[in-house]
Amino acid sequence: MAELQKGFYPHGDNTFLANFSESEREVLINLSEQVIELLAERIDHHNDDPLAAMVGITSHDTPPEDEVLLRLLPNAYADQVDASEFRRYTESTLRQKKQAHAMAMRTNLKTATDGIVEIDRNGANDWLGAINDVRLALGVRLNVEENSPEELQLLKPDDPMHGVYAVYSWLGWLQESLLEAVMNGRQ
Amino acid sequence: MVKVNEKIEEELQAIFSGEVPWITIVWDDPVNLMTYVTYVLMELFGFSKEKATEIMMKIHTEGKAVVSTGSREEMERDVARVHEFGLWATLQRGDQQ
Repeated sequence: MAELQKGFYPHGDNTFLANFSESEREVLINLSEQVIELLAERIDHHNDDPLAAMVGITSHDTPPEDEVLLRLLPNAYADQVDASEFRRYTESTLRQKKQAHAMAMRTNLKTATDGIVEIDRNGANDWLGAINDVRLALGVRLNVEENSPEELQLLKPDDPMHGVYAVYSWLGWLQESLLEAVMNGRQ
Repeated sequence: MVKVNEKIEEELQAIFSGEVPWITIVWDDPVNLMTYVTYVLMELFGFSKEKATEIMMKIHTEGKAVVSTGSREEMERDVARVHEFGLWATLQRGDQQ
């Protein structure tokens, strides 16, 4: 853990580095795989049109029932009819784009030598998006809408949410370090 | 005779053709870091850091802010791009705020 205290840092013009411990690497790989799985396509029983499926049009147009998935794939319109129509044409693409972010993060971690992850600007955007999706998912489970950070910090160590909140906070810190590295290099 | 520049001409035309511009709204949420919201606005909409920070603060304090204006198709593209990065956006007609 000591090594990681700086999180991501810039290395040259277009490169960002971070040094992860083995357990941190495992946690991040595991979380990215869970996001990839969560975002897998819904089985489309009603779509008999292979061409429509190929261009990403699905027959399902209802919002996901799972609360976490709904947070990752939100409605684009307040109006339900418009929201459904938009979802039918775009949800599949959105799932794929989010999966691609998580897959890029997973690959970087899997291929890291001595726990050192090296990414460029595009990779940084994948990581920022992927970390954010994990935080959104954990945030639903932690009910951050209702629970203040102060309340969450007071969770007892034997509460399963205590560990979840620790990961959620750590990811926020990691994301912040990458944002700082990218934004300082931007100006 | 009043002078009518191109911009006003467009607006006058919009009034008579019934073409009202659409808007993309980004909503506040307790998960996304303030720095992250600022970064996404810079990256997706090309705002300066100052402008992006100003909009982020508006989202944070007022619960939402308009981030772009244009045709319905353009706003649908913007909403999709914002959703890809995990901020919650919706689009609507600009006269129904």
